[in-house]
Amino acid sequence: MKRWQSCILLFSALLLTACDGDQSMFRPAGSEADKVVFLYWTMVIGFAFVFFLVMGLVLIAFAGPSQWRVWLQSEKQIIGLGLVFPVIVLSGLLVWGYLLLGSSSLANGKPDLKIRVEGAQWWWRVTYLLEDGARVETANEVRIPVGKLIELELVSADVLHSFWVPAWTGKMDMIPGHTNILRFVVDTPGTVKGQCAEYCGGAHAFMSLYGVAIDEQTFESWLEAESAPAVPLSQHPGRQVYLSTGCGACHQVRGQIGPGGSGPDLTHVGSRLSLGAGILPNDTEAFERWMARHPFIKPGNRMPAFGFLSDLERRQLARYLDALE
Amino acid sequence: MRVSRWRRIVWVGVSAIAVPLVVLLGAYSGIYNVAASVGHQTWFNWLLRLGMTRSVTFHSSGEAPPVDLGDLHRIRLGAAHYESRCASCHGTPGSSVNPVFAQMLPSPPGLVQRVPEWQADELFWIVRHGLKYTGMPAWSGGDRPDEIWSVVAFLQALPGLQEQEYEALAAGNNDADADAPSATELVEQGAQTLARGACDRCHDEPNAVPISDLVPILAGQSAEYLARALYEYRDGERASGIMQPIAAELQDGQIQDLANYYSVAKAPIQLTSLTPPRDGSAAADATGVTPGSVSDLAYYGNRQARVLPCIACHGQNSRPDYPKLGGQNAAYLGQQLRLWQKGGRDQTAWGEVMGTVAKHLTEQQITSLAEWFAAQGSSREASQ
Repeated sequence: MKRWQSCILLFSALLLTACDGDQSMFRPAGSEADKVVFLYWTMVIGFAFVFFLVMGLVLIAFAGPSQWRVWLQSEKQIIGLGLVFPVIVLSGLLVWGYLLLGSSSLANGKPDLKIRVEGAQWWWRVTYLLEDGARVETANEVRIPVGKLIELELVSADVLHSFWVPAWTGKMDMIPGHTNILRFVVDTPGTVKGQCAEYCGGAHAFMSLYGVAIDEQTFESWLEAESAPAVPLSQHPGRQVYLSTGCGACHQVRGQIGPGGSGPDLTHVGSRLSLGAGILPNDTEAFERWMARHPFIKPGNRMPAFGFLSDLERRQLARYLDALE
Repeated sequence: MRVSRWRRIVWVGVSAIAVPLVVLLGAYSGIYNVAASVGHQTWFNWLLRLGMTRSVTFHSSGEAPPVDLGDLHRIRLGAAHYESRCASCHGTPGSSVNPVFAQMLPSPPGLVQRVPEWQADELFWIVRHGLKYTGMPAWSGGDRPDEIWSVVAFLQALPGLQEQEYEALAAGNNDADADAPSATELVEQGAQTLARGACDRCHDEPNAVPISDLVPILAGQSAEYLARALYEYRDGERASGIMQPIAAELQDGQIQDLANYYSVAKAPIQLTSLTPPRDGSAAADATGVTPGSVSDLAYYGNRQARVLPCIACHGQNSRPDYPKLGGQNAAYLGQQLRLWQKGGRDQTAWGEVMGTVAKHLTEQQITSLAEWFAAQGSSREASQ
């Protein structure tokens, strides 16, 4: 294959990378995401048309018959094509975009589920705000029932972040000192991925999360389990390591070891999909890896290295955390 | 005219070569007598002194002494260090300079007489950096200005001290039970090199409190923590011009012996670990209600200010290599927290954790937390 051919092939492959998988806006799982895709394709096709129109006119200006060139030079065409046409197209697009995304039927009415998502360097604090006033805290994972109106309160603990689960809805910034409201409905069950979409410091690229849409019944039983205190495991050797090393200073195990609050809640950490905000799988081996090497796995993260833990202590701790289901 | 200009150029050229050559030959010939017993020519001595005093004044400007320089706890700590490391060369009230060191050239000045010639910042600079070609070493314990100021505090008090007053300061409280085995005796069974009274001089006998609030109480502290501290001093991972030279002479077995000895010793103030809260519901509230009191800060921290709860690590269930803090001297605790804030104690895996914690504390929080922890010890007399 010639060099230019392989270049084109490589470039086309790059274009395709964002088109598939669990972190793609091209796989909409709900009405809001549908709109984003619809808006996207309208713009791509519409502006492709504008692009070819402009290129055609350029061609005429350089190499067209002299009559056409005279026609193109006239003040009327310059005002019409150069001023009126773009103003109409761009204004129309702006108004239509606002109408499409802004005047959603979801904007009114009471949401079925309220969740506060707080961006922090570099993880997500996810708190379910239940109707009876109870709060259920988890991290790096948003579980929702399908077909229900979800309202996210987006806040930030430190700097600008942006919540973006492309398969569910468009992105929205998390601004310190301000609450942004994001409403959406997801119709297709499934697990998708999200990512912080606003540069927020060193480990920004490692600030991912999972979105899990499940049927209502499964969701209710999950929420009930999630709001329960942690399993006691009072004789677990790893629990002793957790307690004595002071993990509870930052990470709460609800009903047992606290106060926590500044790091992710670990009450049911063993049942989550990932570790370190979407960057490691969730199993004993990954817990152990995280403890031994997290300053290298996620450089700059706020957790001290705890380099004095022995291999045995790390293994016990990993087993304990994995057992916190 | 032309000739005389050429002559001048030749003269300059010859001198430029000849003068260094003569100096080099002079040094090589060995004619100059370097014997300490002979001393320098009066004029040369005057020149050296001028250079030295001017250099100290020039370089020391800008070191502002702490406002509480005259604090008795500083003076006591400085006195104990002076007695162990400085007195043999520089003398004490009532005793002159050791005859061996008096034969050094320049002979170490008797500081009782000579200290008033220097300002506090100049003394600080000399103790910290030492003096070239005089035998005066630089401070051996890394960046510990707090310790050096203690020495300066003592030096400034030194000229006014009577012999008995000095003895009382430098020998510690010494109200210990004579029958109790001393740490020194314990160690001396194994190491002749360890200076007598190395531990007691500052920490005093276990059944007394340390001579200064800047010195930690050791009796009743966990053995694992004490051993870790001594290893860190010995291996240069924890900076202290006072502790590092002492720990440098210890072997592993002696470190373990000392740690065990102090951990079971009975102090007048019993070091304690506090019970951590079982559940953090009080502080984990997502609205981030800020707890107000110092004890709330110690038990629950303050999430918004990123202050972590002390008791989570320094509580009853804590690892034995974490220290007990209840009852510890407030001035010592505060000083260590300030060291951590400046990055002076995060060279070890343990220190790194505490460094993360300390950097979010305010000066006000450091003072009040140190005092709060100091008040949490139980008095042995009261509990009996």
